[in-house]
Amino acid sequence: MAMVVDDTIAGLDLSGYSSTTTTTTTTSSEDDHGCNWNDWLPVVDWDALSGGHDEFQDLIESMMGNNTELHQFNSSQLNKALSYERCNSMSPDFEKMTVDEETNGTEDFKGLRLVHLLMAAAEALTGTNKSRDLARVILVRLKELVSPNDGTNMERLAAYFTEALQSLLEGACGAHGKHMLGNGPHHRDHHHHPTDILAAFQLLQDMSPYVKFGQFTANQAILEAVAHDRRVHIVDYDIMEGIQWASLMQALVSRNDGPPAPHLRITAISRGGSGRRSIGTIQETGRRLIAFAASIGQPFSFHQCRLDSDETFRPSAVKLIRGEALVINCMLHLPHFSYRSPDSIASFLSGAKTLNPRLVTLVEEEMGPKGEGGFVGQFMDSLHHYSAVYDSLEAGFPMQGQARALVERVFLGPRISGSLARIYRSRCEDEGYSWGQWLGAVGFNPVSISFANHCQAKLLLGLFNDGYRVEELANNKLVLGWKSRRLLSASIWTSSNSDF
Amino acid sequence: MFHPKKPSTMNSHDRPMCVQGDSGLVLTTDPKPRLRWTVELHERFVDAVTQLGGPDKATPKTIMRVMGVKGLTLYHLKSHLQKFRLGKQPHKEFSDHSIKDASALELQRSTASSSGMTGRTMNEMQMEVQRRLHEQLEVQRHLQLRIEAQGKYMQTILEKACQTLAGENMASGSYKGIGNQGVHDISAMKDFGPALNFPSLQDLNLYGSEQLELQQNMERSSLDGLMPTNGNMCLGKKRPSPYGGSGKSPVIWSDDLRLHELGTAPPCLGPQDDPFKGDHEIQIAALSIDRGNDIDCVSDMYETKPILTGDAMGEKRFDNSAKLERPSPRRAPLSTDRMNPVTNTSAMPQGRNSPFGIRSERPVTIVFGWRRCLRNYLYWFQGKF
Repeated sequence: MAMVVDDTIAGLDLSGYSSTTTTTTTTSSEDDHGCNWNDWLPVVDWDALSGGHDEFQDLIESMMGNNTELHQFNSSQLNKALSYERCNSMSPDFEKMTVDEETNGTEDFKGLRLVHLLMAAAEALTGTNKSRDLARVILVRLKELVSPNDGTNMERLAAYFTEALQSLLEGACGAHGKHMLGNGPHHRDHHHHPTDILAAFQLLQDMSPYVKFGQFTANQAILEAVAHDRRVHIVDYDIMEGIQWASLMQALVSRNDGPPAPHLRITAISRGGSGRRSIGTIQETGRRLIAFAASIGQPFSFHQCRLDSDETFRPSAVKLIRGEALVINCMLHLPHFSYRSPDSIASFLSGAKTLNPRLVTLVEEEMGPKGEGGFVGQFMDSLHHYSAVYDSLEAGFPMQGQARALVERVFLGPRISGSLARIYRSRCEDEGYSWGQWLGAVGFNPVSISFANHCQAKLLLGLFNDGYRVEELANNKLVLGWKSRRLLSASIWTSSNSDF
Repeated sequence: MFHPKKPSTMNSHDRPMCVQGDSGLVLTTDPKPRLRWTVELHERFVDAVTQLGGPDKATPKTIMRVMGVKGLTLYHLKSHLQKFRLGKQPHKEFSDHSIKDASALELQRSTASSSGMTGRTMNEMQMEVQRRLHEQLEVQRHLQLRIEAQGKYMQTILEKACQTLAGENMASGSYKGIGNQGVHDISAMKDFGPALNFPSLQDLNLYGSEQLELQQNMERSSLDGLMPTNGNMCLGKKRPSPYGGSGKSPVIWSDDLRLHELGTAPPCLGPQDDPFKGDHEIQIAALSIDRGNDIDCVSDMYETKPILTGDAMGEKRFDNSAKLERPSPRRAPLSTDRMNPVTNTSAMPQGRNSPFGIRSERPVTIVFGWRRCLRNYLYWFQGKF
């Protein structure tokens, strides 16, 4: 019942859209093709396309001569979606609802419009009927509508997506796209001051459970796995500032059952070059961890293990000591982490397998199934994913526009363009794997999440907005979600056969 | 995911009960007998449904035949099947509840196996419950310490960064704008991490009182009474009486933190945000009590109602918060939202056809704006339609 009503509303949103927005023609601007884009409102127009003429169709015809397939492609697709919503609109409230349509807030219409413009642009860029020109025109329009620094969530988000599409377009058509560069805000320079990064990291920690969720779940699993060991050795794929280990040390020191605090050894994987993962940064992390361990009385030593220049991991480079419990910790794509190539991750994890670790803790992003819906499908999935992230951050820091903008600029913006670029490049490949599945496939065995661990995750989320939720999947995986969207998962594995 | 009916009887101890040991069926002697869908019973039900080719093919009659449980009536099966079908729908967000209740469920699972009154004694169950309580309390204490440790560590990073930056500023004297903003943020934030105060002693007391309650329930030797209590206690998520009643947040924030709320405050400051909010659960309890005397098929509506409403309200809250730049974002709107489902349900009997009557104010359509639309497209792309 309720569902029917919901869908009615969604359907009405779209149909009502025409009645409201066709009257909201604002300043008119002529674009390259002599078409008034301010009148072009995708939802309405695609809907209306089945009926016949409008500017959109004219535009396509003017741009592509005889290419009518494109609009059929678009319109049939949308009509399918629309008709889905319509077919549910048999509610008795139908009539009453329509009355409300006329006076609706413009903001949400703008959100809808942005969604559709983005989808149209993505489709124009890669759909069966590619048209770079169309994509370009849509992007110009989008840029007029959005800015990454202000506006609603959708507007800011759309700004980053627009930008990402823009760079794909430019990359795709080389010199032809250059004339667009002067338009709109450009944040392609993703180089941020270290202080900004740190501030954004701190804000992210405070406003959302993303960081703590993964780290605490992993740590709890580690604690349970090494409850009776005298020596613990953790190989950390991406140690960053090392903040994860502060809480683990604290827990090791204060464990009251079992032997006194075990000796903890951490080997951080490092890479050449500069930045947050350089040897220098990791050395500093090591010093900080050593100081922290000393301050709470945790026996501790720190090592580095350098990856080869092509990011290959050589297990033999990790010094092992007999009798220590080996743990592999692999935090991937947390919001503040930068991108890791799949090859590097695979190299690390398969190398780790040969070390026969007691436990593997894996935290990764939850994305929709790959290989479905092509680029546009994955594009929409990203949009959905990041809109959930944006919403969750906003709920965490409702009044902190600036703080949020900092986090968005420093972490999420680059993330979005990076992930879209990868989707774009790899859209022909069909790699439907999450790393968890991958671990299962190479022979790691799942380890059950304990009651305490689950409980901890819930208590942690309880400290934040109640839109967050935790879900246990497949017994060895906790998923952090925002509303109905899964965002991040932590799973635990072992290479030995017994579930200790 | 299906979740078993919330045991609906706070008041059932005054009814004579008869328990059928072999089937796990717990019945009262009411003319319209109420039934607890224990996990076992539900499993049997699911088996039967699967055997019959899925929830859409199975009918109450065929299920009754396949299950072959004495005392189970068409009436029971009709309503259970209806709920089961609803629960099977892919994008109906049951997840809200099922997740929140997951560990309640877990606990129920562990205790429900004894609901047939075979093997285990009450005493053992009580110990189990207490053990879980203890464990949870431990987890809470540990979590507090871990967060503190992390905060301490973060502070060392920030201090270092401040020093570096100070040096940098001295050197160049020209680093402005973004960088400075960063510094500002850092210094503003420095106090947070370690300042979190978690419930410790107060909470112990609360737990204590709950255990008392539990014991009373035990003395009545009413399983019906015990089970919901189990569920409620398991995560501390839904404890209407201790927190809701007193309006006290279990997380005690120091005052200076409150002050920071206007600055770069962590998300968890307002009392509204207490980790143990029990809005949905409270509603369910309330509903169940109402339902007590009046059961017919309509009750299925009631039963699923709070979930749907909760979801819808969630969406609404969601969009509201995105829409309004309100100065004090989570007080007023939240509290009304929390009230709504209850009001809503009490208005139900008159308005079955427009259960969302309350939502027909203007924001209604906005509720399902671009977010919903986006989701619908996504489903479409993923071939879920």
